[in-house]
Amino acid sequence: MSNNRVSRRQFLNYTLTGVGGFMAAGILMPMVRFAIDPALQTHAEGDFVQTSTKVADLTEEPVKVDFSYEQVDAWYKSEVTDTAWVYKEGDKIIALSPVCKHLGCTVNWNSDTAHPNQFFCACHGGRYEKTGKNVPGTPPLGPLDEYEVSEKDGFLLLGKKMANTLV
Amino acid sequence: MFFNVNDVQQFQTQKDFIDTVLVPLLSLDFEEGKIKQSSSAAEFLMSLTSFIEQQFKGRLMLVPPFSYTEQTKSGLSITSLKEELNNAGFKHVLFITTDHSWTSFNEQLDILWLPSIPLEFMDSTVKKTVLEEQLKQVIPILSTKWSQS
Repeated sequence: MSNNRVSRRQFLNYTLTGVGGFMAAGILMPMVRFAIDPALQTHAEGDFVQTSTKVADLTEEPVKVDFSYEQVDAWYKSEVTDTAWVYKEGDKIIALSPVCKHLGCTVNWNSDTAHPNQFFCACHGGRYEKTGKNVPGTPPLGPLDEYEVSEKDGFLLLGKKMANTLV
Repeated sequence: MFFNVNDVQQFQTQKDFIDTVLVPLLSLDFEEGKIKQSSSAAEFLMSLTSFIEQQFKGRLMLVPPFSYTEQTKSGLSITSLKEELNNAGFKHVLFITTDHSWTSFNEQLDILWLPSIPLEFMDSTVKKTVLEEQLKQVIPILSTKWSQS
């Protein structure tokens, strides 16, 4: 027999604290879980969208790369297809947005015979250099936007649109 | 540009740059045998016009389609429609349709007639390729018009 005997009062104290603790934890756990929920959400690939273009196939010549993602507009879900002009500069992959900074038309690579090796906007004759830098004297006032790029299993991933970092 | 408040406000401040309007003329047929084909043509015209809008957003406004049936067609006067749009500040008014009967107006108006292609059985990549091919027919028409002015 042990020497320190547990009195009836002590025994009841221990049991009550134990049971009360479990009940408090049961109430608090979901509340804490809800409070820190945003931090626990996993972002798949950090919002990168997979394309069907292989990184190995890219060259220094810009090519059109289509990518789709789901857009939720209130209760209406739709599949949106966007495009990017993608090329390699050395080992770096560069993806430019085709949206003209003037009024939002779609620009094309090398489509103006008078000005080869430039992005050309058919709407108002806006022109951009290969880096996306707008040619002074044409309507656009800023360079083309850029996409974040990444690679997975040899395929190109495109991320968020950001301001041009090359110019 | 679409015919919504944001885009219309932008149009009002940028009339120098946004000088073209694209008007779809949409034929509806509710007869038992033709309703399916009519809906397919409508789907094609709507997809194509929004694709054109995406490419030329900064210079072209796509207005909602003018829809009619065989019975109500005579009430649609596209000549006066063109005048109203001219008065609103659009220098170029381009009608686009899959209904062949409008080609009789070709002398006085710019009517772009395209045969309808059934898109409903295509997956989205094929659909996009088809629409890109169709767009290639529209680009020279727009650039000739734009180079004239």
